[in-house]
Amino acid sequence: MIIYLLCFALFLIGLYGMIVKRDLIKIILASGIMGYAVNLMIVLFGYRRGAVYPILEKGKEAAIMVDPLPQALVLTSIVIELGTTAMLVALAIRLFNKYKTFDITKIRRLRG
Amino acid sequence: MSEKQGLTVIVKTVTRAILAVIFLYGFYIILHGHLSPGGGFGGGVVLALGFLSVLLAYGRPAAQEWLNIRILHSVESSGPLLYLALGLLGLAAGGAFLLNTLGKGRLFDLWSSGFILPLNIIIGVKVGLSLFLAVWALTEWDPEKGDDP
Repeated sequence: MIIYLLCFALFLIGLYGMIVKRDLIKIILASGIMGYAVNLMIVLFGYRRGAVYPILEKGKEAAIMVDPLPQALVLTSIVIELGTTAMLVALAIRLFNKYKTFDITKIRRLRG
Repeated sequence: MSEKQGLTVIVKTVTRAILAVIFLYGFYIILHGHLSPGGGFGGGVVLALGFLSVLLAYGRPAAQEWLNIRILHSVESSGPLLYLALGLLGLAAGGAFLLNTLGKGRLFDLWSSGFILPLNIIIGVKVGLSLFLAVWALTEWDPEKGDDP
């Protein structure tokens, strides 16, 4: 149970960074931390103490294995996270091109 | 290759020394994807990191000299077509999409999984090049010159 709470704490760290920080790069990093926390939690759901990895090898007998389904899901999640991060970075570069700053309090020309 | 571009000479030398090892590791992970943890995506990411280390250490102009970006684009775009062709091969043999028409081989050999090894290779090249080219597109903008590439 404690490991799930630690995952949630990591998620909250990412959320804190996303809400409080003013640097666009730090916001992107915080979104990455949130994604990692969720991935870690999903992988830990499939973990079993003392189990082996779910791959058959030469000379290995069938034993208790960890659940491979969350791992496959997390692999897909990592790819999608990579795409969103690349898009966020591209948007940040565009914004820097226009405003010459990463500070979101100074990117306010669109206001009313 | 200009001296001003890129990072210090220490980083450049280390990059030159370990680049082959990075690529070797990436190809190993791709080729053994059906036997051990890894596969096309993981190995492709390692290949992309090899390209990226050159881009970071030597700077964009030197990397442009070293790599033919147009050919990399073509290879990257041909990845899904090759995948589709392999899938239709199974359809042409009278079975389902991606049906294994190659031999199964012996268990735990390198050639033991039929289609999975060629598909892993295609996915690895596609993932590696597309990750590298995404970062390449992001580095196109120059702070001094503005938006024009």
